[in-house]
Amino acid sequence: MTTLTRQDLNFGQVVADVLSEFLEVAVHLILYVREVYPIGIFQKRKKYNVPVQMSCHPELNQYIQDTLHCVKPLLEKNDVEKVVVVILDKDFHYFLPMVSNTCLCRSVLEQLLRAFILKISVCDAVLDNNPPAYHFSCRLYLHRSGSHTGGCHTEHGKDPGDKGE
Amino acid sequence: MEDELYLENIDEFVTDQNRIVTYKWLSYTLGVHVNQAKQMLYDYVERKRKENSGAQLHVTYLVAGNLIQNGHICHKVAVVREDKLEAMKSKLATIASVHVYSIQKALLKDSGPLYNTDYDIVKTNLHNCSKFSAIHCAAAVPRTSAEVSQVQTSVQAGSQTPSDTNAVSVPVVNGHGPSTAKQTAQQPKGIMGMFAAKAASKPQDTNKETKAEAKEAPGVSAVSSKPPAKGNIMNNFFGKAAMNKLKVNSVLEQPKEEKEVVKPSVPVAEPESSPNPVVEKPGKKTESARIQQKDKKSKMKRVDKSDNEEERVPENLKKKRKRIKKLQSDSSDEEDVPPSPMPEEEKAPSPPPVPALKTELEPASTEVSAGGKKRKRKRVLKSKMFIDEEEDCMVTEKVYESESCTDSEDDFAKSKPPAAHKQPVLPLRKEPKEERKNLKKGAATANRANKQVSIMGFFQKK
Repeated sequence: MTTLTRQDLNFGQVVADVLSEFLEVAVHLILYVREVYPIGIFQKRKKYNVPVQMSCHPELNQYIQDTLHCVKPLLEKNDVEKVVVVILDKDFHYFLPMVSNTCLCRSVLEQLLRAFILKISVCDAVLDNNPPAYHFSCRLYLHRSGSHTGGCHTEHGKDPGDKGE
Repeated sequence: MEDELYLENIDEFVTDQNRIVTYKWLSYTLGVHVNQAKQMLYDYVERKRKENSGAQLHVTYLVAGNLIQNGHICHKVAVVREDKLEAMKSKLATIASVHVYSIQKALLKDSGPLYNTDYDIVKTNLHNCSKFSAIHCAAAVPRTSAEVSQVQTSVQAGSQTPSDTNAVSVPVVNGHGPSTAKQTAQQPKGIMGMFAAKAASKPQDTNKETKAEAKEAPGVSAVSSKPPAKGNIMNNFFGKAAMNKLKVNSVLEQPKEEKEVVKPSVPVAEPESSPNPVVEKPGKKTESARIQQKDKKSKMKRVDKSDNEEERVPENLKKKRKRIKKLQSDSSDEEDVPPSPMPEEEKAPSPPPVPALKTELEPASTEVSAGGKKRKRKRVLKSKMFIDEEEDCMVTEKVYESESCTDSEDDFAKSKPPAAHKQPVLPLRKEPKEERKNLKKGAATANRANKQVSIMGFFQKK
């Protein structure tokens, strides 16, 4: 049995894995809380020792996974400034803070992520109701590189391969 | 003054920080007793409602009381939203407790955030979780490290603590707890629920002491029936083979009934068959005994690596003998070769007659003269089966008998005298096997000329 050192683990990959997992949970929970999709497609799951809601729809799940699959390499490179879930026709910005590259123990990290999940649950109090016709998209904001701001987004309901800006 | 301070704190938590404030969280945060925290939340709600600024507040209540369900009285504790409070209170026969559980600005869609709110605060105060609690027990003292290690070793050895904890967590008094727990446990699992349902449906087959078995009362009977269950597993192995044979030979009895008979009867048969096969009295044979015989035969013949299907069951033999009776010319009796080395111990008389037939045929063939059709009397080695009542066993005896025969009609003539000789024996029921064997021999010899000598004659030369 070989033990992996920190160098072997590639700290950036670990952080990217953790964040991408959390982003997936957060997106599902946002869709549930904001009632973007009917509540019936959601199923109660457990993450970070607390109950969360996750979609059972295969296409929706695949879309979210594909989106985060594109985000993950950028997270490893620490190029991502923020990830935003937008409900179009009525702007809904939900900023997901990035965890800095400081060493956080697992318990503290889980506690922070649980707190974030709890905040998502009560976001209805500070947001207006959704418009009648709406859809959501995931927007990715990168760090400023040179003179322009890089960004891309995918929208559910349209071709996920589209990239804007 | 202090009350005002507390209310301001609550207002800050709820309005400014947009928190979910539960009574438990407030109790740990402010360091007050839970009952005081409940009262504080109630006062805050009342004050806000009076100020007409409580419209944004959503309150959840905890209701506890007795509920009459299907004639049973059960104690129900529920956390409900404010709009469903009156409906829940009307359902309960007696109300034991009603108090504010939480206050928040957002309308909650499920109870997940409530659990999430208390999770961290309880986790951080795990060592003094009962400090502000209203439930006290003098015997509830933290264990020492030595006691903890003892408990861990006992858990590893017995693995009984999971069942105990489940009994504590899920009330079985009313009989409704386990079922509801099962339902709630199975619903969210989805595909995993299918496996859980299958596992729950097989408590009798498995010998594991799982939680499901501990919960189910009938599961106890399943646990108690483990030794026969183990026997049933082995017996079903033979029972299935016997069933297939019965189906092939179009048994009169239904397969289901036979299975039911096999299961209780085979455990009786198995201990007999494995060490020393006990021969039953023929007069007392019942259906179960016949099936036991079938199982024994099948077992013996599997050991002997027999390929013959007709040698398994006495009923099958009877039926095949019936067929032999009818046809008398066509038979596959040459294939009915029993290679069993111990025919005397068998209840069914299938193996011996065929070797006797072959031994009979071989000297007969040698004795046939080359010249035309002449009538001869020959000494033929025949095997006779009879039941030894003293020892309760079938005994096969090889005896030389003289028979008349011709050159060309040698085989057919042989069939006649034994049939004529045994006709008065036919109506007798006590020795049906013997006459059938003789008929079988005759038919076998009659067909001997038309068919090739089977390979099993190689074994019967002795």
